[in-house]
Amino acid sequence: MTHSLRIRLILAIIAGMVLLLTVFSLTVYMLIRRALVNQFDEALLSTARILAASVEIDVNTIDLEDVQNMPEFNEPQHQTYYQIREQDGTVVAQSPFLGTENLPLLKTSLNNVVFKTLTRRDRPERAVGLKFLPRSEIGTENSSQPAATEKPPKTDKDKILSLTVARSTGDLYNQLGLLRWLLFTASVVVIALSVLIAAFIVQRGLRPLRSIAAEIAAIREDDLANRIGTASIPTEIMPIKNRLNDLLSRLEGAFNRERRFTADVAHELRNPLAGIRSTIEVNLTRTRDAAEYRSALSECLEIVENMQTMVNNLLLLARLDAKQISFQDEQVRPAEIVNSCWQPFAEKATKRKISFDNRIDHQITFETDRQYLSIILSNVLENAVEYADEGGQIRTSARRKQDSVQIEISNTGCQLTTEQTAQVFDCFWRGDSSRKDAGVHCGLGLALVDRIIKALGGSITAEVENTGTFKIHLNMPAK
Amino acid sequence: MRLLVIEDYRPLQQSLKKGLHEAGFAVDFTGDGEEGLWYALNNDYDVIILDLMLPGIDGLKILKELRAKGRQSHVLILTAKDTLQDRITGLDQGADDYLVKPFEFKELLARVRALLRRSYRRKNPQIKIRDLRVDLTAQRVWRGRKELDLTPREYALLEYLAMRAGEPVSRMDIWEHVYEFKSAASSNVVDVYIGYLRKKIERSGKPLLIHTLRGRGYLLGWQR
Repeated sequence: MTHSLRIRLILAIIAGMVLLLTVFSLTVYMLIRRALVNQFDEALLSTARILAASVEIDVNTIDLEDVQNMPEFNEPQHQTYYQIREQDGTVVAQSPFLGTENLPLLKTSLNNVVFKTLTRRDRPERAVGLKFLPRSEIGTENSSQPAATEKPPKTDKDKILSLTVARSTGDLYNQLGLLRWLLFTASVVVIALSVLIAAFIVQRGLRPLRSIAAEIAAIREDDLANRIGTASIPTEIMPIKNRLNDLLSRLEGAFNRERRFTADVAHELRNPLAGIRSTIEVNLTRTRDAAEYRSALSECLEIVENMQTMVNNLLLLARLDAKQISFQDEQVRPAEIVNSCWQPFAEKATKRKISFDNRIDHQITFETDRQYLSIILSNVLENAVEYADEGGQIRTSARRKQDSVQIEISNTGCQLTTEQTAQVFDCFWRGDSSRKDAGVHCGLGLALVDRIIKALGGSITAEVENTGTFKIHLNMPAK
Repeated sequence: MRLLVIEDYRPLQQSLKKGLHEAGFAVDFTGDGEEGLWYALNNDYDVIILDLMLPGIDGLKILKELRAKGRQSHVLILTAKDTLQDRITGLDQGADDYLVKPFEFKELLARVRALLRRSYRRKNPQIKIRDLRVDLTAQRVWRGRKELDLTPREYALLEYLAMRAGEPVSRMDIWEHVYEFKSAASSNVVDVYIGYLRKKIERSGKPLLIHTLRGRGYLLGWQR
């Protein structure tokens, strides 16, 4: 089957037309043929009846005087023949043109007639057979009525004659042949015309598809802001147009996010690179003592360490997006993991007089990937230490539910608005006013946490209370 | 020459501080946008080096505010934003130069020097006053054929006077443009350094170069 909609539609239309015209032509032909044959038979029968009525019998001789005056039988162009037989089959009279030939004796009863199609001397003929009681010259006058309507007296039974009248159907078949030819030619012409019309209609009908195709072709991957769709789109194609536009919107969004992400990555890498480069260049401008070099080197090392963390985070993000991470589930105790994740930040918290309160019940256990749960908790705790106010408080708690574990980590001193809170999981987003430590925290931590949680089949939300308490809710699936 | 650096990335801030200071500039630093704007509005800086992505207030807003308030300081945008549109926007908002991170420190210095020459309407990087020659690029000074050995501070003072050669320069101007904002204020310091400088550049039998104008400050070159 071809894949061209245009060719398929045209073929379907032609097939439909052929079928329709064939049925129509056949029906018309059959009806006309039957009417013509009926008409022919009627004429043949009336000729036969007139003939039968014209036959007179006088004792034993048949008087055919009237018959001889009937032009049908006397002029050869009528091609009509008759033959009258007695009951025993003896031919008593026949057309002068019949010569030595016989017409078939058609079996029928007195009141009935029978038609038959026959071929004589390779010419088609139609014959009618009937039985009649010929008019007797001494009989009653009403025997002039057609024999079939009169009940013959029993004694006259011997006088019953069989008549066969045959007429050439050449003309009838010529007419039917002409009709066939007319119908066939008309059908062919109509089908040929319908091919043209169908091609034209299909061509026109598919024009919106071509114009949409042209519009789609005009959309370039570096400029996805365009949308398909002018006013002249038919309603049938509307859903396709709408879906395509939806797809374009999603693609544009994804491209823009990707572009912004790349720009952000470039920006976040440029800053530390600029830091390293200018630190090295400035220190190379003159000869310095060892302590100064050492300090420059450790400064560069610190920048490199931060860059390394960032690159690792980026790599992890990319792998999470590409679903290249496999998790190994094991029984974990969140209270313990929180405590071990807290260790690296304890000193900084003490320095800033931030208190830490781990309220997670030690009885709670569930199955998850220990390593990635640690990454999640470390990032969230680091964030909490970073943004808690001096002398503030960090608190963790957890609840075991039927098939999940909910962990909550909160810190005081949050200055974010509710709108800003919605952005904390975006890559490279930092609460602007809290960007004190530029370059040290590049804003990937919570974005990473968000992706890991989702990959683990859980969810994460953030909220800020009026009191300035920032809360992270982790919802982890647990068997 | 006095510079203001508004840059929030601490390691870069540190190296800029060191490098610019060693290049003989009086430099003020801040990592905060609001503070930077305050500094820029309340001091007459020769060049402001401005990062765009800052906490508190965006770099472009600082620039807009400065220009709206009629400040003439030359501004060099130093940023990681590198697209053409970023550069065009920065320059069109009133910046005088645009440098993308990471950058070569020598290039930053050269661009700052170029902006300084523009500030004082000087095309020639060598300034000649009679037989005194100041090479602004190499930061070297000659009197006649003899090169003079000046300390960075003495050079900075001479450079400022040379940029404004032929016009009276007040002690206040010298204080503001040559000495760092955070060092202790004392009008005496200027006089002391003028004294040091005189000792090194004046020669007996040759015309006097640094003139004291009563109540108006100092003047390098010819007195009009």
